[in-house]
Amino acid sequence: MIVFEKVTKKFPLGNVALEDVSFSIEEGEFVFLVGPSGAGKTTILKLILKELIPTSGSIFIDDMDITDKSFSKILTLRRNLGVVFQDFKILYDKNVFENVALSLQVVEKYSFLEIKEKVRRALSIVGLADKEKNFPIQLSAGELQRVAIARAIVGERKIILADEPTGNLDPKTAWEIMKIFKKIEKEKTILFATHNVDIVNSFQRRVLVLKNGKIIKDLRKGKYEF
Amino acid sequence: MRDFLISIKRAPFQSAASFLILFFSLFLTFFLLFSLAFFEGILAYLETRPQIIAYFQPKTNENEIFKIRDELVSSGKVLSIKYTNQKEAFENYKKMNQDNPLLLEMVSPDILPPSLEIYAKKPIFLPQIAEYLKKQPGIDEVQFQKDILDRLLTLTSILRKVSFSFFGYLFLMTTVVLIALSHFKLALKKKEIELLSLLGASSFYIRKPFLKESFLMAFLTSVFSFGVTFLFLFYFQPFLDSYLQGITSLSVNVLGLSFNVWPINWFFLLVIFFLTSFFGIVISLFSTFLATNKYL
Repeated sequence: MIVFEKVTKKFPLGNVALEDVSFSIEEGEFVFLVGPSGAGKTTILKLILKELIPTSGSIFIDDMDITDKSFSKILTLRRNLGVVFQDFKILYDKNVFENVALSLQVVEKYSFLEIKEKVRRALSIVGLADKEKNFPIQLSAGELQRVAIARAIVGERKIILADEPTGNLDPKTAWEIMKIFKKIEKEKTILFATHNVDIVNSFQRRVLVLKNGKIIKDLRKGKYEF
Repeated sequence: MRDFLISIKRAPFQSAASFLILFFSLFLTFFLLFSLAFFEGILAYLETRPQIIAYFQPKTNENEIFKIRDELVSSGKVLSIKYTNQKEAFENYKKMNQDNPLLLEMVSPDILPPSLEIYAKKPIFLPQIAEYLKKQPGIDEVQFQKDILDRLLTLTSILRKVSFSFFGYLFLMTTVVLIALSHFKLALKKKEIELLSLLGASSFYIRKPFLKESFLMAFLTSVFSFGVTFLFLFYFQPFLDSYLQGITSLSVNVLGLSFNVWPINWFFLLVIFFLTSFFGIVISLFSTFLATNKYL
């Protein structure tokens, strides 16, 4: 489902974010991407989102070579990806329902009734069914992250990219967020960047360990080790 | 409409600036279009007046006059010729001076000259016809309006050039200012645009609300500009009435269509309104399109 083949990413000033990285993730897998700050976790996620273009190597998502120069299905690609950010990226002038619905509206194929139904289902998965009319300013940090997760999982987005989604949350809230990820892992492929040792160790899922832009370990049911 | 009002509420100064710059441009556009139409109308009107009047000595034989008339007609340079004999000239004189009996008492048909009123096919034939007439026997005086027509032609041509240059300048100025203003507005929505793009929104989907807002802003501004121009026009109507006294109607031909300019005509006003609205909407949409390019 996600394949990196000898991917290198160098930035114009010469710093190397990723070097010769290869790995593959199967459909339905839950993979932790761990490593210290600057190891290249966010770069991997941005490469999948095609926010960045690799300097060399190839990336395949669902058998589509997204690094190919003729690749033009960027909308199709992004409509298959749900993204959860550390800073939530919630729109403060829209209420909870509208924030989640945005993810479906951009696809421009759902009717209002379908959107209503799918958004309500996503909100009930993240435990915010009773807050759909609330505005972000009325929510706690944990609730805002739940809105972001609902926005990522709603509809037919098969791959969830989570960039340190618990980074700004207290431990208790972080665990509540992880419970949601546990709930959705059966239906989605999840790539979860974090450096939260407790979370990685307790989940016992596959772990890709990054250091200085290289994958130094690929552990099945692994633990967070440096 | 709700989104449009919210956007105005969120960035009132940017919205006011957009409105004012558009209003300025569209009001000037209305003004220039009206001026052009009036000048063209007056030019067309003058072209329908006798362009050359040849006065003959009172005792000139009518056959000689008819001979000259026939030669002119056969030259192919003349659109029409009207002969006015002494009796008709006297009748015209009486009509013109009916309020002044003293003047009527002093004049008899014998002293009034017979005349030929000549309409040329093209203005360039006027000097040739005038020269020909001056050389003919029995001619007393040849009057032709070449100077007036030439001046009006020059003036209309200058006005046309100035108007087009000015439209170009207005288009450029308004576009640049609107792009700058759109950038301010877009900066407020930068995060939303980035998010929409990451969620897989198409460029058109992201642009759509901004384009809609521009369209509405341009349309409402055109309506407002039109309203103000309309008030101006009716305020100045008495002045125009006295200035254009004696001219029953002015009309212009554009692309084979004839529009009545004077007296003020609703159809003509509507055409001007649509043209100006179109100009405003194009500028507004074009600016927004260019401004959004930066973020997509």
